Order: sequence, then structure tokens, then C-alpha cells
Amino acid sequence: MGKIRVLIAKPGLDGHDRGALVIAQALRDHGMEVIYTGLRQSPIQIAQAAIQEDVDVIGLSSLSGAHRTLFPKVIEALQERNAGDIPVVAGGVIPSEDIPYLIEKGINKIFTSGSSTEALANYIKQLINPEHSKLEQPNKIAHIGIAVHSIDQAISFYTDTLGLELEGVEAVKSEGVKVAFLKIGESRFELLEPLDDTSTIQKFLDKKGEGIHHIALEVDNVEERLQKYKQAGIKLINEEAKSGAHNSQIAFIHPKAANGVLLELCQHTEGSDL
Amino acid sequence: MTERNNWEQSVEKTIKRFPERKETFTTSSNIKVDKLYANENTDKYEEKLGYPGSYPYTRGIQPTMYRSRFWTMRQYAGFGSALETNKRFRYLLEQGQTGLSVAFDLPTQIGYDSDDAMAEGEVGKVGVAIDTLHDMEQLLDQIPLDKVSTSMTINAPASVLLCMYIAVGEKQGVSLDKLTGTIQNDILKEYIARGTYIFPPKPSMRLITNIFEFCQLHVPKFNTISISGYHIREAGSTAVQEVAFTIANGMAYVDAALKAGLDIDAFAPRLAFFFNAHNHFFEEVAKFRAARRIWAKIMKEHYKAKDAKSWKMRFHTQTGGSTLTAQQPDNNIVRVTLQALAAVMGGTQSLHTNSRDEALSLPTEDSARIALRTQQIIAHESGVADTIDPFAGSFYVEELTDKIEDEVYKYIDRVNELGGAVKAIEEGFMQREIQHNAYETQKRIEKEDEIIVGLNKFKLDEEVNPDLLKVDEALEQAQKKSVKMTRENRNQEKVNMALINLKKQAKKEDVNLIPYILDAVKQYATIGEICNVLRDEFGEFTGI
Repeated sequence: MGKIRVLIAKPGLDGHDRGALVIAQALRDHGMEVIYTGLRQSPIQIAQAAIQEDVDVIGLSSLSGAHRTLFPKVIEALQERNAGDIPVVAGGVIPSEDIPYLIEKGINKIFTSGSSTEALANYIKQLINPEHSKLEQPNKIAHIGIAVHSIDQAISFYTDTLGLELEGVEAVKSEGVKVAFLKIGESRFELLEPLDDTSTIQKFLDKKGEGIHHIALEVDNVEERLQKYKQAGIKLINEEAKSGAHNSQIAFIHPKAANGVLLELCQHTEGSDL
Repeated sequence: MTERNNWEQSVEKTIKRFPERKETFTTSSNIKVDKLYANENTDKYEEKLGYPGSYPYTRGIQPTMYRSRFWTMRQYAGFGSALETNKRFRYLLEQGQTGLSVAFDLPTQIGYDSDDAMAEGEVGKVGVAIDTLHDMEQLLDQIPLDKVSTSMTINAPASVLLCMYIAVGEKQGVSLDKLTGTIQNDILKEYIARGTYIFPPKPSMRLITNIFEFCQLHVPKFNTISISGYHIREAGSTAVQEVAFTIANGMAYVDAALKAGLDIDAFAPRLAFFFNAHNHFFEEVAKFRAARRIWAKIMKEHYKAKDAKSWKMRFHTQTGGSTLTAQQPDNNIVRVTLQALAAVMGGTQSLHTNSRDEALSLPTEDSARIALRTQQIIAHESGVADTIDPFAGSFYVEELTDKIEDEVYKYIDRVNELGGAVKAIEEGFMQREIQHNAYETQKRIEKEDEIIVGLNKFKLDEEVNPDLLKVDEALEQAQKKSVKMTRENRNQEKVNMALINLKKQAKKEDVNLIPYILDAVKQYATIGEICNVLRDEFGEFTGI
């Protein structure tokens, strides 16, 4: 596959092209072929240029407030020319309340003021070449973390009633928790008891009471995965992996990124027995 | 000590016209605050610093600076229709603003009527839509043009808007020599950074010198140009590049006017400047001081101007729009305060403070009021305006001022080697330099080598969406109807004659076009009609 070809375009009369120029340069540095239309392009001119230049994606920039009128017109002009399959991303001074309207009109994604060029470049790579940047899926559910007030009180339900095997109990001082591991098939339950009031588990219990706290996914290369998630703009709690129980490397993904579920990535390194 | 005596004498004269704001200035501890603190024994004091109101103006262009009068608080405003903007202007004047500053929408700035296909989606968005004299009459309704000075951010069609302003003045019974204000009229920075050009450089420079000449004869109190570094900085330049390219452009205008046969001391006193104020506080203060000193030297030594008024760099400042963040927008109030303070410490003549929500949309009335209040607090509560140029003599600020001056001269030399500003722009030199710095800045921010609070550090999980100003989508239709009505109700024959006449005169390179544009404007010719005549004759600039 050759280089990704991008058309950066300024629809309308807006003359502010600092953002467009910076993005053009950044995408070139990411190995893409970038064509910049220059100022004052009509939606039809932009569609024609995109077709002529055979681009993979179009980036629109407007800071003048004309986006609600002009961005959808670019989509229309592409469709009229049977080029509606060229994805269009956009940026500039776009109030957040306008974003749903623009997405509905066929813009793939809006990058507002303050977005990183890195996130944009990765988004485009993913969009054009999804196979290339796809990560292996996580191997399995490593464990399900359950917050409890007291392991001593909770444990008998799991060992006696359910009949699960208790593998061990361990204090993880850095996280302020005591942990009990119970094996179930290829996965585990992890009962979490706070060691002190400042523990995040204590805060969880205060707020929500006992219950499922997180789900941990076993992955092969946690650092690489975090890097890619970060670039794609996925909200992370830990941008770098840290040491977890049993010699593992772990990091948490923000619940906002996963429909309200706290996900943990965990990678078991050599010599870890769990 | 004769220089000091000269200054003291000019202070006495100035105070007779503009008395000091207070009989005595003191701190809270009753310590007396003097007009000026100076150590004349420092090395090259008079050569480098001098006295306020005297060459080389490092310490300011007036003998008493803000002891007599504060800077003009001039908030840039305009959106939607002329009627709506007129309301905002009258509100701002009631709130204590002391000058007007008009923002025009992009079709007006690029010489298209509101019903032109090119104008679609842009009518009334970034400023007010003005198609004909009729709109200008509404815009300035009940605003006395002999008392209020008006700054107009208009460049390629500056001559058209100036003529509309003159025509409204005449209708109010205000004679031309009483009109005060500024037109931006700085086309070179449009090619470099702002993008609202129409014609190629050569005819554009002709229109500019036509304005210089016309105003010198008829509208002597109007600032005929505001040579702008603001947009160069917004496009991503450094502080040094901002000053260097602005002064290089200024020299190109002076050269063009001299070439057209104008006398330097006849037009140079009406040249004004416009700078940005960013966050690096001391660099900004030093930048303003250095810019004044450089311009004074160039005008006196290079161009041999004799009138001291030609040496003085008078400038407007606006706080830096590109420094504002869409994230946690209230933080922008603090940024604006710092930047405004730097502009005041740098001796600005007028100031626009940005509103907190400008990274998101045009300001709401609430945000615009806070922005104005920021200036009023600096003026009335902080005491920083009670003594002149208080940072003079700071080892750091003086060193920065000298260094900026040196670096600016290096750039000016490079521009001159390329054959002057017009050539340097045509070759894309300035654009490349700015673009390079813009990209480097972006990379530093993404690597977190440069911290922007709320953007790459100290972020909030959940952003609060503030209320934003909405320009009514129906406005575009209403404005289209309005221009159509004006076209129907005017004397078409007279309009045609005025336009044909303008076309004829435009062919002759040595004719001053302003009287002919004024004539067309008075017949309610539209801005698009006038600019199209000139497009036919001059051609259009299509980018570099």
C-alpha cells in the first residue's frame, strides 16, 4: 500500500490557515502525501480537487463560523460526484453543540481546538488502513475485581458455597489493598479489601458499596497498547504501565472509554505464576 | 541635563492641555509616586532610553503618558446586522468604552455582496455585514462621529469603507477634518498571514497611497493605516518576527508613498501600528519598547524625516487570541489580564482585551463586559499607570529590549537583501519563517515541553460548556433581501455612471481613485459592484 493521500482544504472565505498549515506539515511528517488547496475554496472545488488528486481522506478547516453551512455542502458535492466514500474529517473553531449536527451530515470526526496532530494522524491511519494498525485482541479475562469490606467475611461464599479454590491472599501496599485470588476456569475472581481510608477501594465502597469494581483483560504488550490507545484519544487513567500483583504490569482505562466499566490491562511477565 | 529640562518643559505644556488625573499620586502607604524614575548616569541613557515623548521614544511617545490620560479602551466588536452591532456599540459606549472598533464579516472584507455565491455561510459571522452606505448609516446611527473615534478592521476594500464613513459623517453634518479614527488598510500582512486580500500587490499599494494622499488633504485626523503585527503573531511568529516583519512592511508603505511623490512628513505622522500581546510578560514589555526605538531610528536616520511626529510609533494592542484555550475558558480571563498588563507596561496607545470565550465563538455580552472591566481594573485599581515606563532600568528588561532590537535588525536586513517586503512576501520568505515557528510551537505543546494550563496539563475530566453567542442563521437571508431592496430603490443611472467613471480612472495609474469611489458610495453602489470594477481592472491575487 502506498502513502496515504490527504487533501487539506479551507472552505469559504476564512483566511486563518495556521491550523491547516500545521496539520499539513504534521501529516507529512507522519509519512502522508498532503495536498493543501489554499484559501477560499468552494465546496464544489474541494470535491473536484479530492477526486482529481485521488485522495484517501479530506480534512476541512474553518474558523469563521461558516462550518454549519459549508461542511455539509462538501459532503453533498462529493456524493453528487459519486465520491461519497471519501471520508471527511474537520476542525477549527467548532462549538461542541454543532458536532452532532455535522456528524449526522456525514463528517467522520471533528477535531476541535487543542486536539493533538498525533491523534489526528493516528485517526486517519486507522480510518484508511484499519488492518495495519489493529492490535491483537486481548487474550482473555484475567480476573474480575470485586470490592468487599472484609475478605474474611466474604470469602466463605466463594470457597464454601461456590466451591472455588482460594489461591492466596496478598497485600499490595502500593495500591492500599489486600487481595484474595479465587480460580474459576481460566480466570479468577479477585476480592479487594481496603487497607486504609485513602485506598481507592475504600472510596469505591463509600460511593457505591460492595460490588464489581473492575474487569482485567490479559494482554501481551501493555506498553504498546497504551501508546496506541493514547494516540487514538482513548481516555486512560494510567498512561504508563505500573507494577501489579504477582510481577504483572498493569494499567487502567478510564470508565468513560468503556461504557462505565473500569477496565484493567494486565500483562504477566516472565516468572509470574498467575 | 538639558534633555531632562526639555522633557520637563514639554510636561508643563502637555499638562496645560491634558491635566494629570490626580493632583498627587501616592501608594497606600502614602509614598509619593513621581512621574518618572530615571538614572541618567547609566551607560548611554539618553541614546538608548531618553525621556517620554522624546527620541528614541523607548519610554513612551507622550511626555506624561498615562499620568494624564489612560490608553483608549477600544473593544473590537461586530456581528450579524448593522442594526444589532449598533446596539452593541451603544452598549459599550454606555459602559465607559472610549472608542469604537468595527469588525466586518468576511464577504465585506473581501469585497463581495451578501447575496454573492462566494458569501454563502459567511454573512454576519465574524463581523457585521456592510453592503452599501445604507448599512453604514444604520451601523453608526446616533453615534456622534465628531466625538467618537472609530477603528475599522478593513484592508483590501479599505477605501470603500472609508468613503462610506465619510459619507455618513457628511450626513451627520460633521466636517471631514473632524473625523477621527483608523482604517487597518494593511494589505501586506494579508498576503502573509490574514488572507483577506483581493487585488495583487501593485494595485493594492496604489490604493493605499491614494488613501494617504486623500486623507492628508481632506481627513487629516484619520489614521490612514494600521501596520499590523497582530496577525503575523497569530499565524505563529515569534515576538521578534512580529516586530521585524511589521516594520519591514511599514518601510514598504513608506517607500511606496515616497515613490508616488508624497512628502514623508506629510503622511508619516498618520501611520499607526497594531501589535499582539502574548503571555511571556517581560519579552512583551521589551518588545513594545524595542519596536518604538527601532521605528524612530529608521524614520529619522534612514528616511530623514524631520518632523518629530514622523518618528513616533503609535500603536494599538490586542491580547493574543491564539493563546486562549477552548478548555476551561474562564482561565482565559487570567491570560488576558497578564497580556493587557504587558501592553500597558509597554506603553500602548489603545487596547483591546479579548473575551474568555473567543476560542469557542464570538463573545457574549457578559464576556465582552468582563474583558472591558479587566482594562478598567488595571487602569483604576493597580496603580501601574501612575508612573511612566516603570520597567526602565531593570537589567533584565533593558537587556531583552536590546536583544530584540538586534534580532529585529537582522531580519530587516534579510528582507532588504531580498528586495524589500513586497518581494520577500512574493517569494514566501516571511510565510515560511512564521510557518516554521508555528509548527515548532505545536510540537513543543504536544511533547509538553511547553505547558498550556488546562490543555496539556491540569486538565479537567469534564469540560463545562459555556453559553455561546449565536449568530441567527436567518440573518443571511435578511441581509440578502436588504441589499436587493437598496439596489431597487437607488438611482440606477447615477450608479452606472459612477461605476463607469471609476473604471475609466482606474486604468490611469496616476489618478487618485478615492474621490471616484466616494462618488459611487454616495449613490449607494454596493461594495461588490465597486470591487468588481476594480477586479476587472486590477486582476485578483490568487495566493502564493
